[in-house]
Order: sequence, then structure tokens, then C-alpha cells
Amino acid sequence: MDILSNLLLGLSVALTPENLLYAVLGCVFGTLIGVLPGIGPSAGTALLIPLTARLPPTGAIIMLTAIFYGTQYGGTITSILLNVPGEAASAITCIDGHQMAKKGRAGAALSVAAIGSFIGGTFATIALVCVAGPLTQVALEFGPVEFFALMVLGLSLLMGLAGDSMVKALMMGAVGLLLAMIGMDPVRGAPRFTFGMMELLDGLNFVPVIMGLFGLSEILENAEKKLSQSVGAEVGSLIPSRQEVRDSAAPVIRGSIVGTLLGLVPGMTGSMSSFLSYSMEKKLSKHPERFGHGAVEGVAGPETANNAHANGALIPLFTLGIPASPTVAVLMGAFMMNGLIPGPFLFREQPALVWGVIASFFVGNVILVILNLPLISIWVKILKIPYSILFAVILAFMVIGAYGVENSIFDVAVMLISGVAAYLLKKFDFPMAPIVLTLILGPVMERALRRSMEMSQGDISILFSSPLAVVLLILSAVIIVTSSLKFIPARKWSGGGDAEV
Amino acid sequence: MRYASCWKLPTLAAASFVLAAATAGAADFPASGKAIQMVVGFAAGGSSDAGARILAGGMEKVLGTKVEVLNKPGASGQIGYTAIAKSKPDGYTIGLASLPGIMVSCMDADRKAVYTKDSFQPVALQVVDAGVIAVPANSPYKTLKDFVDDAKARPKKVTVSTTGLQTGDHFSVLQLQKLADIQVAIVHFDGASTAMTALLGKKIDVYSGNVGDILSQLKSGDIRVLGVMDNEENPFLPGVKTFKAQGYPLLGGSWRGYLVPAGTPAPVVKTLSDAIKGALENNEVKANLDKIGLQVRYMDVAGYSSIWNEYAALVKDLIPLSKQ
Repeated sequence: MDILSNLLLGLSVALTPENLLYAVLGCVFGTLIGVLPGIGPSAGTALLIPLTARLPPTGAIIMLTAIFYGTQYGGTITSILLNVPGEAASAITCIDGHQMAKKGRAGAALSVAAIGSFIGGTFATIALVCVAGPLTQVALEFGPVEFFALMVLGLSLLMGLAGDSMVKALMMGAVGLLLAMIGMDPVRGAPRFTFGMMELLDGLNFVPVIMGLFGLSEILENAEKKLSQSVGAEVGSLIPSRQEVRDSAAPVIRGSIVGTLLGLVPGMTGSMSSFLSYSMEKKLSKHPERFGHGAVEGVAGPETANNAHANGALIPLFTLGIPASPTVAVLMGAFMMNGLIPGPFLFREQPALVWGVIASFFVGNVILVILNLPLISIWVKILKIPYSILFAVILAFMVIGAYGVENSIFDVAVMLISGVAAYLLKKFDFPMAPIVLTLILGPVMERALRRSMEMSQGDISILFSSPLAVVLLILSAVIIVTSSLKFIPARKWSGGGDAEV
Repeated sequence: MRYASCWKLPTLAAASFVLAAATAGAADFPASGKAIQMVVGFAAGGSSDAGARILAGGMEKVLGTKVEVLNKPGASGQIGYTAIAKSKPDGYTIGLASLPGIMVSCMDADRKAVYTKDSFQPVALQVVDAGVIAVPANSPYKTLKDFVDDAKARPKKVTVSTTGLQTGDHFSVLQLQKLADIQVAIVHFDGASTAMTALLGKKIDVYSGNVGDILSQLKSGDIRVLGVMDNEENPFLPGVKTFKAQGYPLLGGSWRGYLVPAGTPAPVVKTLSDAIKGALENNEVKANLDKIGLQVRYMDVAGYSSIWNEYAALVKDLIPLSKQ
């Protein structure tokens, strides 16, 4: 009952013409990023944050989340038609999707993928609604002490995002914390690391840093590579045969569950969900030999799973304010740019905004199906734009975007410096995700800690004074210990390589 | 007078020519077709910006010329204040100022401001958001006295929130500590909503903030207001006693007014001040400000200047305390 009234409130926000427009725009941009093999979801989302800087918060968040889950749809198109994954989570779709295309069933593969994605995304959003409702009841339990414990939990995820080298990840985490320290001390008012520059008194603006770290560095990296530009297969009929529909039903259901669950787990990326779903379908299939030769299950399962994953990854963000992947961390930055800290309190303070955004996920998933099926030929045409032109356009857009956030040329410099620095760091295999995580969570954690200290007048035992906080701290300890295990050389873990960053 | 004295160096003829031009400029200020720039040191879309834009629209009608809002956000307004201080003192640049924030940036050496309080000429006050002290509805504190007595009995144990370091509500707590001779545990939040959530969740005992930020909780019956920091009863808080009436005459809340750089000719300042007055008397302007919860209170050059000086003394006194 409560859930229903919340959802109705959400729909009343999401379905206003203005917010519908933002959802459509977000879906278009998301699909575009997904289609373009040069730019991944985190880079794309970071690049497009400035576009939303002038929008009201609800519209901005609706648009950015739509960009985020929209990328998962777009990636499928190139996987199936070109055998080139638009982004990592759709890589596995190449295997059977492109084989289907070669047999003239590209249209059917795209339809199955789009409908599967729709079901997966919707399933994960329903899960979010079910979890979020009860959670708002405990919002008031979260004071500074509990908040600090929550942020410790968030930072312990750093280990999950570490990639191949824990030392490098921790180094980058420390860099992020240092960058987060810049600006006026929130309690004593003393300037830290500002080097006498007034522009730094408020701290580094988050958006240009992110744009540089993810966007510019990725463009620079791609500019070195030779990206082949191939012409796609014919789309053909969009309508799947009866047999294809029958074969897809079970994989779609299983993919929804797998993707939503893995989406909840910090450090898991969409590509892991789609990979797991693919191998699961292959194992469960009565005809595993068909896989690799255009089995529709090999498209339906993974494509559903990666969308369920994308929407599932928003569950920890919305309910606890914890970003479970680099792209979600970028999204969290967008929330904070609008003065919103995601978490249970947001449901209390801004119910119309939060439920509006959640309802927009349902709307957005419908929009994406429409965008992806009837309009497929447009996306194929975009692929024919030469990269030399595309990258130049994106670069120009980045400079304008960085300037536009606060009309500050200083921010443009910040963006360029972070971009070049990130490019060089990536050359030495330093991961970027930990920087963003600490850059975003660091200040929130610092404030919570110092607030707790102010409350107790310096008595550190206050941090363990609340049962909720103790539970969260224990959970963090468990995460740190278990995720350290993969760095013990004897048990080399295969899941470490993170393709999303 | 600084304006005239600047020009003593050139020949007498040149000086008198410039003086004549300046006087003429004051008489026909604002020149038709010449836009006035209103510098707002806060991001577009916020409450400060919204209030300034509504006023700018009203001033345009009075002055018959464009009044363009220019947002220069950053460093808690300091970037905007710097722009105002450095602009030409001809009345064509006017800026929004929020007290006590601007005074803190003038007086706190850590902020390394390039201006002082004397770099500005106050023009007019537009809006006051009065300060309040509030507690949860089921708090044992029924009156301000209950709170003060408890704080006296348990020094540094009663927790009081602020919406940020060196904000108006931080300074009001510091003043209350001084006037009532109490010590509380001051907890700085960032913004009204996080502080209010902590109050409602009983994580802190007492909330210090502005009227504009507590109205919805007051309406829903979640909180009780112990006192309002103002000289008179607040229209939004009927029946709530002022701090002055309860024995603690303290200066609180946030005061938004407009400044020009020092040295702007007095007649120009008066023209601008009158234009703000005229704009605030416009019913449409009033209704729009009301809609966004801003309580209009016009003060002329003299009135606003005296508030300006009162805050200068207060902030100078409290800055060392604000850093614990």
C-alpha cells in the first residue's frame, strides 16, 4: 500500500512533460555512448554531467541515470551488427549475436536483446522499490555515528574495485583522499592545500576532475589506437520467430535474477553478470553445441543480465548512498553536485525527487525499447562518423562542459590536468576507480567523523555506541578481509580484471 | 569622498572636468540603455539567486534600464564579493551580500580576502531570515530557560547543531554561550536538511537555524521553537517569544542586502537604494518573494549600514571563538 502510493507519487513526477523529455534525452545519449565503441559508460556519464548542470535536480538525476542504464542497451547494437562490443558488458553478446546476424537474424537478436533488457531493468527496479520502501522507515536512525560507519563500509569497497594490484589501488585511493582534502576545513575553517588560490577554497569541483579522469584520459587512449570502422550487417526483420521467443523466456528470467543480485554486490561489473549468465545458459542448455553458432539464449540471457545489473547497482546507491561501481560513483557525484546525498534520508527529505527518479527507470526502460527497435537504422548510421571528427567534437564539448558548470576557466584547467594525469597513470596500470570513490566518499566520511567527535567532545567510543553502526563496521571488516584474500598469490583469482574502468 | 581625492594629482582643469562628469553621471544615473550588473556570489537556482533575480526584475521597472544578474559562485560568496570590490564605483555594478557570511570573509585572516569591510558601501537590505532555536516536539525542553539550565548543569554535554561553520546560526550559538554563560557541544552540519534530520532522529538535542528552513517541520508538529532572534515577533511564528524578551538580546539569522564598491557617489547609492525600495513595494515582486519563503524587510542606506557595523563588531569578537 505504502509502496503503491510512493510509486504513484513517483510516476506523477516522472510523467510530467519536462521530466519525460529529460528521460528521453538521457536514453538517447546513453544509447549513443553505448553504440560508440570508444567511450565506456563511466566516461560517457562523466562527460555528460555538465549538460545537466543547469537543470532542476530531479530532471538532472533522471537524465543522468537514464544515460547510465541506456548505455547497456546501446552496446548490444554494435555487438550484434559489427561484432564489436560498444561497451564491456555486451562483449559476450558478440559470440552468438553476431552469428545470428550472419544468418540474417540480426533484427530478431536485437529485439530479443531489447525486450530482455527491458524485463531485466524493470525487474531490478521493482527490487529497488521493494527494498527502498521499508528502508525509509529507518532513515532517522542514521545520525553522524551511523553515517560514519556507513562510509567506512563504502570505502572498504575500494578493495573490490582494486583490479590487479592492491598497492596501486590503495595509492590511488590515497590520491583521491588528498584531492578531497583541498578546500576549507569543515570544522575549523582553515584552508587546506589551497596554495593561496581563492578558487580552491571550496575544494576541487567534482565534475571537471571526473571528466578528466574518465573522459579525457579515455579519449587520449583511444586516439592512440587504430579503431577499425566496419560496416554492419543488415538488420533484417525485427520480429523473432516463435521458437526464438520460446527459447528466450527462461534465460530472460534467469538473467534478471543473476543481474540484479550481482548488481547489488560491490565491485561486480555488468560484464561479470553477462558472462555468468552466458555460461549458465550454456550449461543448462540441452543443446550446448548450438552456442557460438547463433543461439538466441546466448543473446537473451546476457543482455537481460547486464541491464538488470545496471539497475540493480542503483539499489545500494539509492538505499545506502554507496556506489558499487565506478560508473555509479560518477552518478553519486552528480547527486552531490545537486546538493543531494543519496541514502535513506533522501527518501525522507525529498520523496518526490527520489520516487520520481525511480519511477523514471520504468519509463526509461520503455523509451529505450522504442529507441532501440524502430530507430535502429539511425544508430547504425552514427557508427559511420569517422573517429577523427568524433573525438574532436567530444573534446570541444568537454572544454565547454567543464567551463559551463560554474562559468570558470579554472575548472577547464582542472579538467585538462586531471585528464593528462589520468592518461599517464593508466599507462602504468593505475586504476582510476579508487580515486573517484575516495574523492566522493572522503569528505562525507570526514564530516561524519568530525560531527561524531563534536557530539562526544572527542570521545572516540561514540563510534561504537550504536548497534547499527557496529553492524556496519563489522560488515566492513568482513569485506576488507574477504576481498584481501584474492591478493594472496596462492589463490590467484580470475575475477580481478575489471573491464569497466 | 575617496572618489574625488583620487583625482587630485592631475591638473586642476582635468580634475574639475572629471568632477563635473562624475556629478553629471550621478544626476542622470542610470544612463538610459546602460545595463546595471548585479553580481551574485552564489550558484544560479539557489534561494539567494532566486531572491536576487526577482528583485532585479522589479528594479528594472523602477529604473527603466536592464538589471542583469551575473552569478559568480564559489568560496562561500568570496569570489562574488571580490568581483564587487574590484568593480568600478559608478553604480553600474551592484552585488548581493549575505550577513554574517561576507563579514566573516572580511575579518577571518585565513580567508585571505583582497577586500575589507571598508571596500563596500551598503545600499539596502532586502530580506531577513530570522534565526531560531528549535527542539523535537517531545523534548524535555519546554522553554529556552529549560535548555539554558540544563546546559549549565551539564557543560559541553547538550548537543546543538548548526547548518555550517561560521554561519549565522553558528554565531548565534556562540553569542548565547557568552550571554547565558553556558558551554554546549556544537555540531556542524552542512545545510539545514542534514541538521534537521539529525534533530528529528534525536541524534542532537537542539537545532539552531533560520525560520525559512523549519517551517514544514513546525507545521507537521515535529518540532517546537524555543525562541526567535529578532526585535519583534515573527509573522511565520505567532506566539513564539523573541530571545530579547527572554533576556538574551542576540543578533541572528541571515540578512541579505546589496552593496556597491566604496567610493560610489552618494546620489547614485541613494538612487539604487530607492529603486530597491520601489521594487520591494511592487505587489508582484512581494508575492514572488513570498512564494519562495523570503520575508521582505527593506532598510535604507543608513539602516543597513548600522546593521553592517553591528555585525562587524560581533563577527570580529566571535571569529576566534568560532574556531574553538
